[in-house]
Amino acid sequence: MSFTERELWAIIHGLGLGTLFLLAFAGGLAGLYSLKERLLTPDGVAERTLRLKVGSMGMAIVAWLTVISGTFIVYPWYRAAPGDVIDRAVQSEELAAYPRYWLLAGEGTAEWHRFGMEWKEHVAWIAPLLATAVAFAVLYYGATLVRRGDVRRGAIVFFTLAFVAAGVAGMFGAFITKVAPIY
Amino acid sequence: MQDVQTKPNGPVAAAFIAAGVGSLVLGITVVLNEVNDGISGFLAFDANFGIGSGVGPLSGKAILATLAFVISWVVLHVALRGKEVAFGKAMTISLVLVGLGFALTFPPIFEAIVHLFPAAE
Repeated sequence: MSFTERELWAIIHGLGLGTLFLLAFAGGLAGLYSLKERLLTPDGVAERTLRLKVGSMGMAIVAWLTVISGTFIVYPWYRAAPGDVIDRAVQSEELAAYPRYWLLAGEGTAEWHRFGMEWKEHVAWIAPLLATAVAFAVLYYGATLVRRGDVRRGAIVFFTLAFVAAGVAGMFGAFITKVAPIY
Repeated sequence: MQDVQTKPNGPVAAAFIAAGVGSLVLGITVVLNEVNDGISGFLAFDANFGIGSGVGPLSGKAILATLAFVISWVVLHVALRGKEVAFGKAMTISLVLVGLGFALTFPPIFEAIVHLFPAAE
């Protein structure tokens, strides 16, 4: 029972960081949504603020780590081109070591690359940008964010959009890995 | 305008708009990569600048989007620090930019744009 280096990185990128991202999003969103002056005592605001800082910063850091590891470590294995001796038009065992080309060789699998991967590899990069802006807003205002309903609502929208971007990327990543794994 | 006892919201508006700028630049590079072979070649930062072996044009798209985010954030932060701005307007601008970024990374949309440039097909 063991993993290859590529499988291990795919797990770190998708499962490890993806799970952390989900946890940070859930915590951060709950914190932002419930940060209302009328619902909390001053002690409650202070306690929520700490959790919110950890959640929003965590989400931003994890989002950056996920796109960087995905783009610069895992993606080159996905897009590596086979040598001339391997027929790129047939989904052979040899071609399976080159997921992008294996997917494109099949009529029923080509869309996983043309639509799924093409969207995933790009939209994922929006997530850390949005998550970083939210983390900055939370760190900048700290406990006084409770008195900035406009910023808090904006942060909730950005936080959710970051999750949508990461969700699209994560979902297609899981599907594509299932159809054409990186060995 | 909200509570004047809190810090001015300019720096936060700057961060949000900068995230929108980064998203839009990402979307634009996705389209340009498909439209023009020369630009596609330039975006291969792995081959041109040794950044990210084997990543191809995605390396350039990701790095340019990140640079656009950071640079626009710094510029907007300097311009808006200490200022209270209409946050609703800043949010609207940000969401339009982010929405365009999302749209331009969506394959059916960027492929439709590519089809407007016959030479690129």
